[in-house]
Amino acid sequence: MEEFTNEVIDTKQLPRYEEVQLTPLHPKYWKVALINFSIVFVIIGIALTLLWFNKEEFSDIGLYFAITYFIVLLFSLFINRIAFKKKAYAFRNHDVIYRSGIISTNTMVIPYNRVQHVALHEGFVSRIFGLAKVEIFTAGGSSSDLEIPGIEKEEAENIKQLLMGKIQKQL
Amino acid sequence: METNFNQPQRQSSIGILVMFVDSLQKFARAFWPIILVSLFKVDNLSKLYVFLAIIGAIVVVGVIAYLRYLNFTFYIDDVNDEFIVNDGVINKTKTTIQLNKIQQVNIHQNLIQRLIGVYALSVDTAGSDKKEGNIKAISHPLALALKSKLLDNENLKTVVSDENTVEVQETIPTSETHPFLKIKLTSLFKIGITSNYVKSIGLILTFFFTIIENLHQIGKEDVIDEDKIETAISNYPAIYAILVFVVVMFTIIFLINIVRTIVKYFNFSIAKQKGSLLLSYGLINTESTILKPEKVQIVNISRNYFQKKLNVLEIKIKQATSDEKKQKKNLIEIPGCNSQERDEILKLLFNQLPERGVMMRPNFRKLVFSIFLTIILPLTGFFIFGTKVDAIVFQYSHFAVFYTVFLLLIHLFGFRNYRLFVSDNHIIKQSGAWDVDNEIIEIKKIQAITTSQLFWHKNLNIGSLTLHTAGGNLSFYLGEYNTIKEYVNLWLYEIETSDSNWI
Repeated sequence: MEEFTNEVIDTKQLPRYEEVQLTPLHPKYWKVALINFSIVFVIIGIALTLLWFNKEEFSDIGLYFAITYFIVLLFSLFINRIAFKKKAYAFRNHDVIYRSGIISTNTMVIPYNRVQHVALHEGFVSRIFGLAKVEIFTAGGSSSDLEIPGIEKEEAENIKQLLMGKIQKQL
Repeated sequence: METNFNQPQRQSSIGILVMFVDSLQKFARAFWPIILVSLFKVDNLSKLYVFLAIIGAIVVVGVIAYLRYLNFTFYIDDVNDEFIVNDGVINKTKTTIQLNKIQQVNIHQNLIQRLIGVYALSVDTAGSDKKEGNIKAISHPLALALKSKLLDNENLKTVVSDENTVEVQETIPTSETHPFLKIKLTSLFKIGITSNYVKSIGLILTFFFTIIENLHQIGKEDVIDEDKIETAISNYPAIYAILVFVVVMFTIIFLINIVRTIVKYFNFSIAKQKGSLLLSYGLINTESTILKPEKVQIVNISRNYFQKKLNVLEIKIKQATSDEKKQKKNLIEIPGCNSQERDEILKLLFNQLPERGVMMRPNFRKLVFSIFLTIILPLTGFFIFGTKVDAIVFQYSHFAVFYTVFLLLIHLFGFRNYRLFVSDNHIIKQSGAWDVDNEIIEIKKIQAITTSQLFWHKNLNIGSLTLHTAGGNLSFYLGEYNTIKEYVNLWLYEIETSDSNWI
């Protein structure tokens, strides 16, 4: 029989997940977010303009529509910026930490020995900037899956390899 | 008698009858509009044609049933450790299920199967959401033999991997299962009168509206004469009418609940079988399910005030699922045990009795927030609507008062019961206003942990916790954030240092 010890765990001495220095998303990812954001708003804008010119009823209240449109646009831009600023991640020896959220700050921790598989996703816009998204899946269903966007392709590839190695070791 | 399943074999020959009824049902479901129309228009058509058509349909269905019976074979491939089911008349399907992927084998009976004395057997895997390998007609001994054969495989695997246990395994007599727990009819009765009020009200309302809708559709709404009802009601004082309505409603609810509980869970028995639990129940359709303790994720024990006095409670068990849609189906309910039986079941599922451990309370802001969201906001809306738009809503202000008092009570009791208990191996979350739920999870079955904090709570040291398991999430809102973080670090340490397989 191996030597067996069973000492009391000092909970104060445990590594603290909340004090880990998190890496923010790559600055280029903000450009990706902006492009995606403008695509959506350009389409809505075109639709509204078409409505304005073609429908008689809209010509009177068109100005209000334009104002509302710009307020919504600015507000969404603001929200997007906060969301981008808040997102950060860290890979520790035994788990991955991801922080996100606008009104509330959510911090998710997934231990590597609970990861089922890892995937790499490159969006159309992201690929232009050489960025990728790491997707981490557990058995806990969609609520406990993790998507970390805005990581440089090469680094993302490394992360995937690292995680795959960790998973394989467990098996 | 050792039955050999290595050769492809057909179902019991009497199974043609089951196939026949099943095909007939499918046929009727597919063609019911035509059938309905021809029934109503029967005067216009020659009766002979209708008669011939019915005979023809029955013959066709009979032939299809016979062909389905002929083409349905199943066997166990010992070489590849697979269970194979061949099915289909024109489109042939070959379903191959790897034996070690099998999660559950269910044996059940519907009315027809019960009448002719055969059983259905279905195999449940983790992969897809529909039941695979559905055998519709099989005799009881054969079903049991096949079931043990299908599930035996897993035991063999462990035996191979651990040679020391070989002899132990063999010496254990494969005795017939003897139930270690049987739920009495009186307990079911007690559960029937004390639970599921809301569900039954929903059922009654749906039933009622479906009838009205159907009456409308065939243009016979005058069956229910609204004037007659109105005059009947207006003859009595309002209070009296309401009282009668409530009494009638409750009687119906009680009756429905009792009948439903007894029909569904009649003769509920739990037996131990090779480390897993065998549940079987039902009055008309006998269901039998196998529950493996290692697949159990969340155990919910729920009990309300009446049930506490009557010493009954309900246990719901959530198992590991691959997708959320399946979650409902994988929920196993054990109605009407008493505290002692509950402890025994828990011991079987967790190998020990979960302790309640250290208690965490929510911040009072949780109460304030829920009151704000569900009482103050709607009431403000109500007053604004009443003063600005239409004062007519103030006629219904007694409803507003009732609503406020009702919700206030629910929130107060809900807040009082909202607790999180943390012990060495288990986490128990207690919640609920009337039905008090105790959700139990094992720390080693946690998949991921999320903590979250609203930005205005940063300096108040308040935050929330969500524990993700393969059977769903467990959330505790607005607790003391430092304590939560400390526990999260401890749990992460425990999960990451153990190499036990999670599932």
